[in-house]
Amino acid sequence: MLKEFRKTLAKILHLRSIIGYNSLVFALKKTPLIGKILPDRLYSTTFLKVIYWILHVIREVFELFFSKMMGLGCVYTASLVAVMLYDTGKKLGDMSKQYSFGMFALLFFLIYAFFGIVMNTKLFEKTTEKDYLVFMIRMNAKKLDLTLFAYDLARMFIGYLLTGLVPALFGVPVWCWLGIPFLAVFIKLFAAGFLVFRYKIKNRHHKPLTGTPAGDMLKVVLICVPFPLLFFMITGGYYVPVKYLFMISGVFILSGIWGLFELVSSSHSLHRKALHDGAIIEKETVRAEKARVRSFKSMKVNGTVKGNKKGFEYLNALFVKRHFKMLMLKPIICTVIILALMALYISGFIYDYYTESGYEDCIKMVITNLRNLILFKGFEDPLNPNGLDSEFQFFRYAVQNHLLALFIPIAIFDNTYKSTQAMYINCDNSLMTFSFFKKSKMIIRLFDIRFKQLVSINILPAMAMAIGCNLILFATGGQDYPFQYLMIFAICACMCISYSMYWLSIYYLFQPYTTTASVKGGAYNAAYITFSILMSVIVWIGVRSQILAAIMLVFTVLFVFFARKLVLKRAPKTWRIKA
Amino acid sequence: MEFVISHLVKSYGSKQVLKDCDFVFEEGRIYGLLGRNGSGKTTFFNCVNSDIDVNSGDFYFRSGKDSQDKISVLPEDIGYVVSTPTVPEFMTGREFLKFFIEVHEEITPDKTIDEYFDYMMIPEDDRDRLLKDYSHGTKNKMQMLVNIIAKPRLMLLDEPLTSLDVIVAEEMKNVIRSQKEGRITIFSTHLLDVAVDLCDEIVLLNHGRLEPIDKNNLGDSDFKEKIIAALRDEENA
Repeated sequence: MLKEFRKTLAKILHLRSIIGYNSLVFALKKTPLIGKILPDRLYSTTFLKVIYWILHVIREVFELFFSKMMGLGCVYTASLVAVMLYDTGKKLGDMSKQYSFGMFALLFFLIYAFFGIVMNTKLFEKTTEKDYLVFMIRMNAKKLDLTLFAYDLARMFIGYLLTGLVPALFGVPVWCWLGIPFLAVFIKLFAAGFLVFRYKIKNRHHKPLTGTPAGDMLKVVLICVPFPLLFFMITGGYYVPVKYLFMISGVFILSGIWGLFELVSSSHSLHRKALHDGAIIEKETVRAEKARVRSFKSMKVNGTVKGNKKGFEYLNALFVKRHFKMLMLKPIICTVIILALMALYISGFIYDYYTESGYEDCIKMVITNLRNLILFKGFEDPLNPNGLDSEFQFFRYAVQNHLLALFIPIAIFDNTYKSTQAMYINCDNSLMTFSFFKKSKMIIRLFDIRFKQLVSINILPAMAMAIGCNLILFATGGQDYPFQYLMIFAICACMCISYSMYWLSIYYLFQPYTTTASVKGGAYNAAYITFSILMSVIVWIGVRSQILAAIMLVFTVLFVFFARKLVLKRAPKTWRIKA
Repeated sequence: MEFVISHLVKSYGSKQVLKDCDFVFEEGRIYGLLGRNGSGKTTFFNCVNSDIDVNSGDFYFRSGKDSQDKISVLPEDIGYVVSTPTVPEFMTGREFLKFFIEVHEEITPDKTIDEYFDYMMIPEDDRDRLLKDYSHGTKNKMQMLVNIIAKPRLMLLDEPLTSLDVIVAEEMKNVIRSQKEGRITIFSTHLLDVAVDLCDEIVLLNHGRLEPIDKNNLGDSDFKEKIIAALRDEENA
């Protein structure tokens, strides 16, 4: 049996390393500049394969210990803090510190393992090597699943045992050090057995085992429940005695034995069916990708475009009409949330003023400040005209000097990236096969139309943020210089324009999609990573708003001009279907 | 008008797919580009359609056999119908045709939109439905139709009859035949029967080269065996 296990595992690991190596070479060959130099024989170079294999082993070892070190590190640190707190409050009674540390460690590990291990057990996860081995080489799916699972169990056991050795040398009780790896194994067995049991039930009705919103919600609730309980337990000075923790562990051990029986008694066809269906518990990214493409394609004929739009104007108007929800929902919701928060705050402020100063003074205050707002002045309190002391001075300083940080919310609210995905999947992917679509004058005509459209969509939350910044300025004394309010609007608008232009132009210059909406182009990723690094530096830079306004205006004009020029020149070669 | 392929080379890494291809295609004829799976038919079309760059060589139009002029191939000269029909799925058939005609300002359509639909035998109740809900065959017809409207000099048809039912396939064949005048049509397929049935000339894409097959042999009983033998030779090359 052990020989059979070794043989199967060797096949899996061998195939995994081949897939990993070939994927790496493929990715390198797709990388700009480097890809051109690399020869095809790289796929069959033994020396590099050996290096990859060594790196692969190092990664396996790293994975073996890293997550365990993190997990046990958290458990032991929390236990140490708890012991210190209880000791200070004299709530440990006659328990030794070492014993109480073990008690807390066991409690925290049970919680950590239940969520960490149970939710991370992916017995039926569909992977490339499983696909090949089961459906092409026709390997026994159960044997494959169990071999991989046993390999994971062994890794986990060794990982916990070796990682726990060092703390054990420093005083962690031996029963805690040795108990944790065994407990982890039984909890994982329970999780795997539960998956088999669940699939058996579901499969009776021929339902694939996919995640549901209700299931996701249940997970969130289960994760959230223990923390308030723990909080009340620790603040109240209570603890769960070791004998009860041993009893709970015993339940887990029995559940693990049940899980083992479920696993062993499951049929080959169940495993094969589970793998075939799906797609079942696919990797989150694959599931999300499919859901995204589905969401792009879920559209109906909802009337047609009115007016006398023609050609690309007509195409774009139809695109917006058929993708209205996808394009507009996020910016509109973001805008409404920002405006609603501001409205709530202002209403609360007026209400407080009314309860403290009475109706007449409140009306006077509101009218005075509406007038001030129209005249671009600052907030004025009629009862205390000289009082400008405000708790918002920090925010005023931020608005005066750190508006570049607004790139963060702009990046969150911007919808251009998703829009380019929908453009490709539903429109460009097909039109790129037509020669007229690849002519430079046609490309730039549509590019301009789309750019204006995207700016008009993304400008909504940007303007809402500008209003928020101006209100902070208004509430804390008004403008420092004439037109400061307008400058803030200009800065936000420029940020939105630059951001939309950036995403749209890299889509045209590096067209990264093939048949799905997931990014495949190395150059596109490189552009994205470079941009992200640049942004993460820029947002911290302090610049006074009047200088920033000037810089942003000039930058935006130049950026739009040159990006557009680049698209005009390069896109006929780059904006095409990728093989 | 002739379409000339001159010393065309295309490689993927060390694998040379097109090796010094030379050929002259004549106007008014349907050429059956016959080759085995993976022989480079789609690569050849993608090169001509400028979807991928060629390593070396050239292709151009010339006005006659003895003419020395080289007329560049512009994007609007080419119509390309791919085997897996791709149409903008968010539009209805009617909206797509309207858009297509408006974008091609240089074209004066000789029919109304509904007449075009009738010509391609696209049912009335399909015309105002989203293209994403069209069947494979109707999508294929739409793709063919817009290429007919654009009136390109060179029509590239990359296995357009693949996976069509017999009725639609027959309708498409008739359309292709009726559209051959005034243009060069290159029809790629790996099905010998389809090539023999539809095309005026057969060109083998073999060993990365284009090789003409004598059209007078089309009626010979052992013609198929000869082609199969020629293609099979690739294995031993």
